[in-house]
Amino acid sequence: MKSIFLSLLITLALEASSSNTHQIKIIEKIFSEISIGEELKIWSDSSDILFGLQTSAHFKIVQNLQDANIIILEKSDTFLSEYLSKAIFVLNYSLLSEIPQSFGALFWKKGRPNIVIIQPRIEKQSITVSKDLYPYMEDRVW
Amino acid sequence: MVKRKELFLFFSLLLLGVFLIYTYTHIKEAKSEIFLKIEKDKIQQLAHMFENLKTETILEQNIENSKDLIHFLSDKLAREKQEKRLALLLSSNLKYIYILVKDEQGRFRFLLDASRIDKANFYQKFDVDNPKYSKVYKTKEAQIIKQKDMENLQLTYLHPIVVNNQVIAILSVDITSNLENNILELIQPLETFFIILIIFIFLLISMTIIQVIHYFLTRKKIFTDPLTGLYNRNYLQEILPMLKLDHYSIAMLDLDRFKVINDTYGHKTGDFVLSQSSTIFKNSIRDSDILIRYGGEEFLLLIYNRDNLISTFDICERIRAKIESTSFHYDNHDINVNVSIGLHEKPNREKNINEAIKIADKMLYVAKNEGRNRVIKYSEKHQNNSQTKDINFVKSALQEDRVLCYYQPIYDYKTGSIYKYESLVRIVDVDGKIISPMEFLPELKHTNIHYKLTQRILSIVFKAFKDNSLSVSINLNFSDFINNDIENTILEELIKNKDLASRVTFEILESDEIDNIALLKEKVDTLRNLGAKISIDDFGSGYSNFRTVLDIEANYLKIDGSLIKNIDKNEKDFKVVKSIVNFAKEADMKTIAEFVHSKDVYNKLNTIDVDYLQGYYISPPSPKILKNEELF
Repeated sequence: MKSIFLSLLITLALEASSSNTHQIKIIEKIFSEISIGEELKIWSDSSDILFGLQTSAHFKIVQNLQDANIIILEKSDTFLSEYLSKAIFVLNYSLLSEIPQSFGALFWKKGRPNIVIIQPRIEKQSITVSKDLYPYMEDRVW
Repeated sequence: MVKRKELFLFFSLLLLGVFLIYTYTHIKEAKSEIFLKIEKDKIQQLAHMFENLKTETILEQNIENSKDLIHFLSDKLAREKQEKRLALLLSSNLKYIYILVKDEQGRFRFLLDASRIDKANFYQKFDVDNPKYSKVYKTKEAQIIKQKDMENLQLTYLHPIVVNNQVIAILSVDITSNLENNILELIQPLETFFIILIIFIFLLISMTIIQVIHYFLTRKKIFTDPLTGLYNRNYLQEILPMLKLDHYSIAMLDLDRFKVINDTYGHKTGDFVLSQSSTIFKNSIRDSDILIRYGGEEFLLLIYNRDNLISTFDICERIRAKIESTSFHYDNHDINVNVSIGLHEKPNREKNINEAIKIADKMLYVAKNEGRNRVIKYSEKHQNNSQTKDINFVKSALQEDRVLCYYQPIYDYKTGSIYKYESLVRIVDVDGKIISPMEFLPELKHTNIHYKLTQRILSIVFKAFKDNSLSVSINLNFSDFINNDIENTILEELIKNKDLASRVTFEILESDEIDNIALLKEKVDTLRNLGAKISIDDFGSGYSNFRTVLDIEANYLKIDGSLIKNIDKNEKDFKVVKSIVNFAKEADMKTIAEFVHSKDVYNKLNTIDVDYLQGYYISPPSPKILKNEELF
């Protein structure tokens, strides 16, 4: 199952490299494997991602940051203090270091899609992930 | 057979198609391998350089396993030093150079990244999906990954770092090049061109195949008679150029009195008899023989010459006997039919097949005239006759006025006097010899000369009888009846001479194919209105059509000679003739018995009340009009 998921994710990721739409599909897939004990209400600093995830059945897209419980952050310069109470998923590996409460990242490394979930951070934030995401779990940000 | 040009076209296109597919495949292969081939030398150089670097580093640092390597490269300064060394290899083509290590969970991690852009952190996880990364660890051999849809990366070269026969890490290089992309872009139109060309060629091949299939399907229809399943005359024309007459004998087969079956039992029954007879013919011959439905109830059989054990005559005789012994049962009727066969055993002696067929047809005519249900083989005797008595013989006779009529008395034995005369055509040849119609009429069948000859006979007979009070019969067949020239000749004479009209009887040859009864009746009525009488000739053998006789309202029935000639010995013939006489009386028709060749026959006929008698016993045909005292 794990390998199937991985293959699916990588396949999606490979396709995603050519299109933002596919990046959205990967994000959608990742978030369908994540649970925070309540309905996922997602907000992003990227209007493209907000628009792309609009039709997802797994979670709700909110237009106001205050209504969200998960933030997908693309750029560090948009970081606000209001984010501190929210779970943060970043789209750049370096943001994982810059934003200590960010729990995971989807980014491109040398043309290949990479996913990282920081285990201590999701535990701290009471975020649970399905087994399918275990291969992407890291103890720390390297 | 498929025409050669179609086969040639088909195979040429097939060959071209195969060649184009080969070329296209080759281009595709070249396309997929082009980058690898171009970069092959570079990769080999890289491999050497990696080996040198590796050896230096490993030896310098005394590294024994991956843990030692991780420990060594975890030092930032050491790492940066190695990165600088590797970075020297970076070029516009070599985009990324990095070292990966496989951790305990089987995930790959960056130990070192010499890339100038998109640099990875030490021990950062690197998600890879391609199994070749693991294969490097398994095989300890370098691997090359051909990348697809990954930025502008073309190849990834994976070089194992082997220490103590164990792979402790992978040196990975991502190679990119615009040159290859440009080449591929240049090749693309060529590839498209080949695809279009291949599609076009295969469309042409498909069309040719369809044409060939269509040819075979239509060929069967074109060359096969739908009723009997036999070949038709088109097939004969098709095989004619390839037919070697040396190997064949030719037989013409004709079902006797077939028209009567059609008229009596209907066309469906006729078709059934035709179809069944064809089956008997087919079952009596070999595959090497060729059987063709030549027309109507006439068949052409090309008998492939066998060994000397069985003659072609025997084969024909076997067919004849088989047909004779078969009773066809259809629609609660048992129908018997006979076949007459004309055979030419050596058709290769003739100028061409048409001449040979004509001779076989003539033999068929002879078979019919000699009483049907027999096989007549072409012999020297026929050859001698046929050499002089062709259409030209008759044509010359007409031009040189050598056509004349003989008259055979038809005798009324009750009054002891001649009742009337039957006119019979003769031709005097250049040597003064009298030639009987059997020797020249078959050649004239359905020719214009036949009609001209009939017109001449009519003129001679009308001239001979218009100035006396005697009666005369003239033989006409159906095609004569519907010929306008002949009709005009008759009408012209009989309209102006009513007395002659009342003394003329037209004998319709019963054996002739009458395919339009309504038309015949119309013509007959015209003649009857002028006072002429109608007689049905050759009535009684086979399946005479009583209905047609009644429809035509004939005045006389002339009983077929084959029934008369043995009537004194054959009880069955006697009964049949007696029945015909009774039928004729019921239908108010007079009967005439021909072929009265002996006193016994004559006496026998007297017992059954036949009205008139004709035959050699009474008098043979004579060039002059005989008187009563010249009989017997």
